[in-house]
Amino acid sequence: MNRKVLIVGALIVTPLLIFLALSFGKDPRAIDSPLVGRTAPDFALRGLDGEMVRLADLRGKPVVINFWATWCQPCIAEHPVLQAGAKQYEGSVEFLGVIYQDEPEKIQDFIDRRGAWGPSLVDDAGTVAIAYGVYGAPETFFIDRNGVIVRKATGALHPSELASLLNGMLQSG
Amino acid sequence: MISQLGSAAVLLALMTCAIGAPLGYFAGASRSAAGLQWTRRMALAFALFMALATLLMEYALITHDFSVSYVASVGSLATPLHITIVSLWSSLEGSILFWGLVLGLFTAGVTLLQRRGHEDYLAYTLGTLFVIGLFFSFLIAGPANPFRPTPLPIPTDGPGPNPLLQNHILMIIHPPMLYLGYVGMSVPFAMAVAALLRGQLGASWLRPLRNWLLVPTSFLTLGIMLGGWWSYEVLGWGGYWAWDPVENASFLPWLTALAALHSAVVQQRRGTLKAWTVILVMVTFLLTILGTFLTRSGVVNSVHSFTQSPIGPLFLTFLGICLVASIILLSLRIDTLVSEPSEDAVVSREGAFLLNNLLLVTFTFTVLVGTIFPIIAEAVRGVKVSVGEPYFNRMAVPICLGLLFLIGIGPALPWGRADKRALQRALVWPLPAGIVGLGIALLAGARSWSVLLTAFLAGYALWVTLDQALRPARLRAKKGESASQALLQTFVRAPRRTGAYLVHLGFIATFVAIAISSTYKENLEATLAPGQSAALGGYNLTFKQLDIEQEPHLTAQKATIQIEHDGKDEGTLQPRFNHYPTQREPIGTPAVRTTLTHDLYLTVMNVGEDGRIGLRAIVTPAVVWVWLGVLIMVAGTVICLIPPRSVAVAEKARTAEANA
Amino acid sequence: MRSIYLTLVVVALSLAAPMPAAGQEAPLGAANWDLVGQPDGPPISGTELDLITEEVAGIMRCPVCQGLSIADSPTALAIAMKAEVKEMLSKGYSESQVLDYFEQSYGEFIRLEPKARGFNLFVWLAPLAVLLGGLLFLAARMRKPAAAVSESTSAKSSSEAELDTYRERVRREVAS
Repeated sequence: MNRKVLIVGALIVTPLLIFLALSFGKDPRAIDSPLVGRTAPDFALRGLDGEMVRLADLRGKPVVINFWATWCQPCIAEHPVLQAGAKQYEGSVEFLGVIYQDEPEKIQDFIDRRGAWGPSLVDDAGTVAIAYGVYGAPETFFIDRNGVIVRKATGALHPSELASLLNGMLQSG
Repeated sequence: MISQLGSAAVLLALMTCAIGAPLGYFAGASRSAAGLQWTRRMALAFALFMALATLLMEYALITHDFSVSYVASVGSLATPLHITIVSLWSSLEGSILFWGLVLGLFTAGVTLLQRRGHEDYLAYTLGTLFVIGLFFSFLIAGPANPFRPTPLPIPTDGPGPNPLLQNHILMIIHPPMLYLGYVGMSVPFAMAVAALLRGQLGASWLRPLRNWLLVPTSFLTLGIMLGGWWSYEVLGWGGYWAWDPVENASFLPWLTALAALHSAVVQQRRGTLKAWTVILVMVTFLLTILGTFLTRSGVVNSVHSFTQSPIGPLFLTFLGICLVASIILLSLRIDTLVSEPSEDAVVSREGAFLLNNLLLVTFTFTVLVGTIFPIIAEAVRGVKVSVGEPYFNRMAVPICLGLLFLIGIGPALPWGRADKRALQRALVWPLPAGIVGLGIALLAGARSWSVLLTAFLAGYALWVTLDQALRPARLRAKKGESASQALLQTFVRAPRRTGAYLVHLGFIATFVAIAISSTYKENLEATLAPGQSAALGGYNLTFKQLDIEQEPHLTAQKATIQIEHDGKDEGTLQPRFNHYPTQREPIGTPAVRTTLTHDLYLTVMNVGEDGRIGLRAIVTPAVVWVWLGVLIMVAGTVICLIPPRSVAVAEKARTAEANA
Repeated sequence: MRSIYLTLVVVALSLAAPMPAAGQEAPLGAANWDLVGQPDGPPISGTELDLITEEVAGIMRCPVCQGLSIADSPTALAIAMKAEVKEMLSKGYSESQVLDYFEQSYGEFIRLEPKARGFNLFVWLAPLAVLLGGLLFLAARMRKPAAAVSESTSAKSSSEAELDTYRERVRREVAS
């Protein structure tokens, strides 16, 4: 019995198998956002209506920023959810939409047909999407009164999810 | 109907493995001739059933039998016939069936080609092959069953294979070559296990083991190259190797297979390194299982990733069992492989071989750690990190320079101990060639230290390789033979020697080509309206027009670019921008103009509403030599398989004696 | 209608070239670049800028691709990121500042080479450790011959015995 081989073999193989086993259940494509818990990056963007919106001006109220586009199916699916949410929390929560890799004309078309739930901001060079670490649509950022990002949601929003997050933000001082 | 027949064939294959495995080990342990005979029959039966299952699947694919679930998932009435045939390996279940087929063919091959001698080794070998076959048959029969009947209602058409897999001929041959290489590594593994069980690894068993290691190595070399070439011609990013986890998975066993082959050379010459040869051969196989696990489990981010499937945990279990069993077997039996005592000097050919193997093993370790580090980091820190091209290139370059250095001095060094003066002479004699190489590089304008070092080492190595390869021919010519006779006899008496030096030549060519093509690539991105031109590396590129081509499964925008090189008209290239209904982002297909000195590579990055295109042009020098160099390596490994003439003569003499 | 067409052209142009387009105020990302402080170096332009952009883009990962760098990736996100990298570099930000900025929003994932800090050092040092360990092992092994030669008589006799049985088998086989 060659002890050396046994020990060296065990030393190499055991951690290897453990790490490989631990990797199950983790999606290598899902990237956590490092922005959660940090101050939301400031920006100043012009909406389709020509109005300039600056994030810093909205401090004091919770803000929901939704990056969306007309080519993305889940965005279209969550549109009514955002509409209902914007209506329900009108005045207490600001809803902002940022156009993500889409043409303003198409967005305008969509809004004309389905209605808007907030300004649609034009992010030309994509710098704001980059500042928020966006890599797909839809992505929604929940910012509290103090300008801190408390949550990033990827994919279509559920009404219950939206409600619980917003209630939470409104209650905490 | 096909579903049931196919499943039955797979079950029968499974049964032959279940019987053959214990039978093989028993026959080996008891040295029973009858046991071996039955094991051989099981082996042939296994191959037959796998072939039958594959033929049934192909039949189902070609006749578009959508009642078979695999056909329903990759078949389509619109797909051309040749693509339908190869869709056997385009998706997970079918590719595991294909694995089973290749394993069956190799098992039958071993049975039929190892007729005489080595009876007890052979029984053990087949036993191990059956154990491997048992796992894969189980997968095909159960979790990854392509013959599962499609749930009702049976569709009348299917989605067809992935569009990326449809547009190039390389996609047709790359997977089979890779599989032949990958799966083939099971055979030398089984033979090494047999040697351990038998407690002996003599010259007589080493020869078939080495041959059965060479065969999959040559396929694997070809398969890897075809993958890189396909990536270059189809994916549109202008490169051929991205250190993607799945690319690495195919590369790892190749490295250890090379190390094992070199170790076997030392074993044959000096009788040493028996344990290392066995360990390296076994690690090669284990890396193929690890690689398959990484590819199919979905735990790493890759171009090739299949989604996380239930067979991931099964593969990991199988890998775990193989690893543990191998370690236990090695620790119990490795001391029975008695090697000759080594009296060799550090600066000798053996020393060079050992250093070479160390570098190859370090390379393997580095690529392995780099590939799975994201998994490790996430487990330990909870953060996702990337380990990509820059890391691997940084690590690979010094190691490959080291290997190039050894290809130069290794064959120049004598075996065993030699006096200092002989050593000095051997090492200094090729230096002028290195200086010439360096000079050529400097004259061509190279200033990067890695390219200059590569040129020097390559010149040195080239000289040594040619010198050593032709040395016997020169000696013969001195004794009076004509040049052609001398060369022929040299080759015929020792084809393995010729093959090996040819592989070294191929490696030198490939490495130099990689160094040049990656350092001196020229890049240009421009937005062009029809009629506008851009200039790059001596070329003048004019965007002529944009056409639309409608095909059943895609809409392509074809841009016609007029090429002028140094003033001469060289025709047109037509890169395409393909829109698939199933994909959001269009996929560009590049157009490539290949010459012996460089490639011109054009891709369309985007098409504006105003008819302007975003064109990306890359001029890569010497890239065709990467493919040619590897092809030379493959030719070399194939030549190594040719038996030397003297053996054939002895065989003839023996049969003549027997008949007399 | 015409104004919408104009907006489109403006959008397309600003996507293709990183210049501040008409209809916007100051470059929007600029407000966030000071997350990494003031530029370390002087502004650069021309071929120097192009070369260093390629270099930096080459070590940044495209978040939506399979392991490609943003220099190689044709996706819209990669192109936008590359444009922002170019702009930051033109202002004089250093490579490490640019990488730190993108790491703020995308995490360590965005670097194609792990930062050589903390646990990540494992992936940088382990290969070196293996190489050095292997060299030491080989050196120790090759120094053994002095001892092995003295025992070689006994070792030789056992290998000699093995050779004899082999020679016997060969003789038998050739004779048959």
